[in-house]
Amino acid sequence: MKEILAVTWMSLRTIPARWGSSLVVVVGMACAVGALVSILSMSAGFLRTMANTGSPSRAIIMSDGALGEWGSTIDHGEATILADMPGVAEDGAHKPIVSAEYFAYTIVSKKSDGQDTGVGVRGVSLEDPLLRPEVKLIDGRWFRPGTYEIVVGKGAQEQFEGLKVGDRIALPSGDWLVTGTFQSNGGANESELITDASTLLSAMRSSAYKSMTVRLSSPAAFTQFKNAITSRPGPALQIDRESDYYAEQSKSFDQYLRTIAYVVGGIMGLGATFGALNTMYSAIAARAREIATLRAIGFGGAAVMISVISETLLFCLIGAGLGVGFAWALFNGYQHAMAGLVIRLAVTPALALTGIGFALALGAIGGLFPAARAARMPIVDALRAV
Amino acid sequence: MKYFPLVLAGLWRKPARTIFTFLSITVAFILFGILAAIDGGIAHQLDAARLDRLIVDTKFGAQLPLAYLDRIAQLPGVTVVAPRQILVGYYQDPKVPFGIIMTDRRFFGVRPELNATKDQIDTLLHTRTGALITVYSAKRFGWKVGDKVPVISNTIQRDGSHTWTFDIVGIIDDMDRPGKARYFIGNYDYMDQERTSDKGTVDRILVRIKDPGRATQTGRAIDALFANSAAPTRTGSERSDRAAGGPSALGDVAFFTRAVVSAVLFMLLFLTGNTMMQSVRERIPEFAVLKTLGYSDRGVLALVIAEALVLCAMAAGAGLAVAKIGVPLIAEASPDWGLWLLMPWSAAATGLAFALLVALVSALLPALKAKRLSIIEALRP
Repeated sequence: MKEILAVTWMSLRTIPARWGSSLVVVVGMACAVGALVSILSMSAGFLRTMANTGSPSRAIIMSDGALGEWGSTIDHGEATILADMPGVAEDGAHKPIVSAEYFAYTIVSKKSDGQDTGVGVRGVSLEDPLLRPEVKLIDGRWFRPGTYEIVVGKGAQEQFEGLKVGDRIALPSGDWLVTGTFQSNGGANESELITDASTLLSAMRSSAYKSMTVRLSSPAAFTQFKNAITSRPGPALQIDRESDYYAEQSKSFDQYLRTIAYVVGGIMGLGATFGALNTMYSAIAARAREIATLRAIGFGGAAVMISVISETLLFCLIGAGLGVGFAWALFNGYQHAMAGLVIRLAVTPALALTGIGFALALGAIGGLFPAARAARMPIVDALRAV
Repeated sequence: MKYFPLVLAGLWRKPARTIFTFLSITVAFILFGILAAIDGGIAHQLDAARLDRLIVDTKFGAQLPLAYLDRIAQLPGVTVVAPRQILVGYYQDPKVPFGIIMTDRRFFGVRPELNATKDQIDTLLHTRTGALITVYSAKRFGWKVGDKVPVISNTIQRDGSHTWTFDIVGIIDDMDRPGKARYFIGNYDYMDQERTSDKGTVDRILVRIKDPGRATQTGRAIDALFANSAAPTRTGSERSDRAAGGPSALGDVAFFTRAVVSAVLFMLLFLTGNTMMQSVRERIPEFAVLKTLGYSDRGVLALVIAEALVLCAMAAGAGLAVAKIGVPLIAEASPDWGLWLLMPWSAAATGLAFALLVALVSALLPALKAKRLSIIEALRP
């Protein structure tokens, strides 16, 4: 062990003499890790947004087979029955804490590039703080039911034109006044506009809701609630715990982002690995005499091998640190509109570890072959070359 | 040209180093090629959009009543109006959902690039559960004319069933992109009679106009017709419809590709720069010998730069060739994104230009070093 440390320390001290070529490994890994972590930060931000949206103590009900709120229908009568199901939490006045909701959208333009994009408009039955306590007004006032008024999510307001308090938004039956801004714990709702469900329903001349969200009396009450609905007469419905629903909804898109991240990062990493191989082969060639001397005075091949690998890993670690640092400085907290959502990119500690692990894995490959050569280097020949 | 062997000899002095550098550059340009293919695919899709077609969508999410079709048809300059309702479902594998276009005869008037014969269209319309599919869809799912195909959909039928059965009555193709188009066309009436909600509505109306120059005016006229109804419309060109779909839905694709390409080029600058620097440092006595033999300072400079240019151009060429050959294979393997992948020859040219730029910049310092070296200093033991 002492032997390994000694050889490693010795080789590390010779690094300043070959700064230029060591920099290749550092820069290569920094670029590969930077690309990987930057793209993964979209995935992390997206997942965080979705996770902040769903709560285990709420359930969302849609019509059977609906792939999302969009394709679902729940009529008035059904909504009334559902509110009285066992397992639904009640407020102080023994009224069920539920919201039958309608979902529409309108077209706005992105501030960044002026491109048109859809933004969701959610009609809620009850602006009850007990159902979604995380929704908080931060500017202006709430909409008044029965009038064409609407409140805007913070994310949507920051990313899209024309959603400031006092602006008017084109919605069916004329322009609607923006009366306030809300935040929602960084959840998907912040990308939406919220108004009164009945007002929106009549403006859209629709008679049925799209979905219904209820607060459960406790997270454990979900099974009771679901069983009660499944065993009632009437059309089949799809009941999901809200947190599960949003986790399920984010799966395929997240998978897609990750694929891009690993394809791009992987290809760049491969390029960086070839660079590392190059650097390390030339490093041991430059130090052939020194390594042979060490071996001649009794240091083992394993010690030499480990010293070469640790040197490569050190470069990769510095590169990964730089890459993660760049990604963090450029993108952490950066707001981005994609797939109908406004998300904040997040360079999380877990991502930093992923980036570092990625670089170390590549570094191990890039260091292994040169290290093996260094360990097997014929001592006599190397010394004869002097 | 006579110096070419000398350039090659210089590169081949340390084969391992040259090979690793070569591979790094190759890999980087494979990535460049793939990213260029995404940009190229989007550009191709937009350019291929027909200018005499308009797409009428819902403005706020309400379904569009069928009655809209006749009102649009009466506008001046409108030649064909077709209904479209997508039925989303899957065949056997829930992970591979696809959309079925539920429409009628008029669809083929809006899309003349479909080579359906009059007989095929008649058979489709006379068979309630009939379906026309493209060559690609037939191959992908292994269907042939006469097959009964059960499609599981989230749209429920009157009897509570989720299974929509189709009879394949014909195989057609899209002459704009033969062998690649994924159409599955069924009868609107079949869907509308069987579904339980949204009856008598469509999710999109397709319009063909006589004069592409009047597309914007016609679009405005259509939207004005329904501005005060329960389901206002939003009419756009096929081009803008395509621009909003595909990879662009994920965000700013151009920014993404530019950022990655810059990072890759930056990395390459260091890689090749280092290789050239090492190579020149080792060969200082050799350059001195060349100069002694009468090579000019500039000749030595040119030699080093030529080495870098040859290395980068060959490696980039290899990478771009792999991308050019590989991209169609990726497109084939992933039908959902395949349409959006196309690497144009111009991208290969841009790639080569970048490679030469990297070579010039990275070889500059080592080349100057070789140029400036003094024979006496270099040859002194």
